Amino acid sequence: MLCIETKDLRKKYASTVAVDGVDLQIESGQVFGFLGPNGAGKSTVIKLLTTLISPSNGKISVLGIDSSKHPLEIRKKIGVVLQQPSYEPTLSAEKSLEKYGMMWNIDKKIRKKRTEELLSAFGLEEIRKKKMDDLSIGQRRRVQVAREFMHDMELLFLDEPTVGLDPAARRKLLDFLREQVKNSGLTIFYTTHVLSEAEYLCDNIAIINNGKIMAVDSPSELKNRFGHEKTIKIHISKVSEELKSKLSIIPECQIKLEPEPTVIINSTKSEIVLMNILKILNDTNTKINDLSAIPTNLEEIFLKVVGDSN
Amino acid sequence: MILINPIIRLVNRNLTISINPGFIIWQILFPLIYIFVAGFAYTALIDSVPFGGKNLDYPAFLASGMIGFNIMNSTLISGIIIWNDRRHGMFEQIMSGPFTRTHYILSNIVTIGIIGLFSAALITAVGYPVFFDSVEFNIVTIPLIIFGSVVGAILFGSIASIISVKLRSSEGFNVIINTVFLFCAFASTAFYPVQGAPQPLATIFYLNPLSYLVDIIRAGIFGQVTDFVIIEMLLLVALASILFVIATKLLTKLDF
Ligand SMILES: Nc1ncnc2c1ncn2[C@@H]1O[C@H](COP(=O)(O)OP(=O)(O)O)[C@@H](O)[C@H]1O
Ligand SMILES: [Mg+2]
Repeated sequence: MLCIETKDLRKKYASTVAVDGVDLQIESGQVFGFLGPNGAGKSTVIKLLTTLISPSNGKISVLGIDSSKHPLEIRKKIGVVLQQPSYEPTLSAEKSLEKYGMMWNIDKKIRKKRTEELLSAFGLEEIRKKKMDDLSIGQRRRVQVAREFMHDMELLFLDEPTVGLDPAARRKLLDFLREQVKNSGLTIFYTTHVLSEAEYLCDNIAIINNGKIMAVDSPSELKNRFGHEKTIKIHISKVSEELKSKLSIIPECQIKLEPEPTVIINSTKSEIVLMNILKILNDTNTKINDLSAIPTNLEEIFLKVVGDSN
Repeated sequence: MILINPIIRLVNRNLTISINPGFIIWQILFPLIYIFVAGFAYTALIDSVPFGGKNLDYPAFLASGMIGFNIMNSTLISGIIIWNDRRHGMFEQIMSGPFTRTHYILSNIVTIGIIGLFSAALITAVGYPVFFDSVEFNIVTIPLIIFGSVVGAILFGSIASIISVKLRSSEGFNVIINTVFLFCAFASTAFYPVQGAPQPLATIFYLNPLSYLVDIIRAGIFGQVTDFVIIEMLLLVALASILFVIATKLLTKLDF
């Protein structure tokens, strides 16, 4: 069954189009990464999918439920950790979990048990009695994420949950999430602007920019698809007019003068292009200072996809 | 049941986050000190106050007024809850959970109703010796106090909600809400009888819903339900309904 499905989803604000025609088809039982730079529209999509705001246009179906008809039915089955902090300043960390479970109508015994489990899983035992108001931003964030696991859910939305966490806490959270998906068949919709996180955690990734989906695939497929296109940089001593005109007939390459004269090859057949260019450089007596091939990683793909769309 | 259960859970949360030592001191200790200190200190100045067909001594007049004042005061809670929920992201969090805005609004009203009733009962109990002589309990006493607590909670709770929705900064919120409530408290019949007041002030007294609330509760305690009190009850219900609708509309429109 499709866990999330949207058709031509749009959200306009007065002066901005935050979401611009998003079509999603997300299967259950996976971590789906939603990757994009700041202002790409990630949070707006989450607010639309969790029924907090309504779309300007388009259809949303979550867990098979039409969001315009039965938003409450959707909300009963999902968990949401929004980007902004949310906490009860006067409650202790422990009490926050416990009361949140109560709000979700979880049986008292189960609440107690889960509180203990989560305090331990998120490394919160030492601060369990501290008031939320007195915690650091990262500690608060951990309580906020932990709290969401007090109740049962089929689908969990996490909007940049690791912001403010130290590397150890970050890794602990990612591993905890992986474990949950494996053991309970939970589906997670996970937004981030940190690529390594998406690569580590997600089964599939959508890259979003300016409210539009640029690409959707598994991390390895994304690498395959865009990874064929290798980038080779040739640093040269000078750029003559003759060189310029000879290179202009090869579309896969471009010349950069700053910070130093460079010929950049960007192609799926960069090796063949390289041979041609080396010949031209030789013909024009251009000296090669340095030559480098940039390995493909998700970071490169991300920057390329986002860069192309800008 | 489908509607009630989520509301009860939200009320449970509201009470947990609102009730703390500071709040209890403000809600209970302050009115008590006021009744006993001011009540007896001012007896020298104001010796008796005509109410309905009766003459009340000032401490009895003040203690009964304090019940209405306390109901109004407890509704500050509703403004503070909404305002804090927005500031600390809990409003969004609740609205993305198994609740609707109607649940949220009704839970706030029930919360202040409970706190209002509780503090009304408490002041009634401890103020009892003070107005013992004039008390005329009858069949409408308790219903009138409950009516006042509930309708008053809705009315002032809606005012507090409207202010909390309209204001973003904490200074603004505190200043405005305290000014409005302080004005309501002192330009009302809660502390001073309207009879001694100059005409313009007396008019303001009766443009103030707290005066209606206080009169209704006094009528209940001292058994003086006149036609005027019945008009005040109708006015209170009308005002509470209008303000409740406005508050609900504003909360429903609140964007994320
Ligand atoms: N309530 C709002 N009113 C006006 N513009 C908004 C609002 N929320 C978001 N935006 C705009 O929509 C765009 C997408 O924002 P957002 O979804 O928060 O991006 P992201 O989460 O990917 O960083 C941004 O340009 C942002 O300024
Ligand atoms: Mg965001």
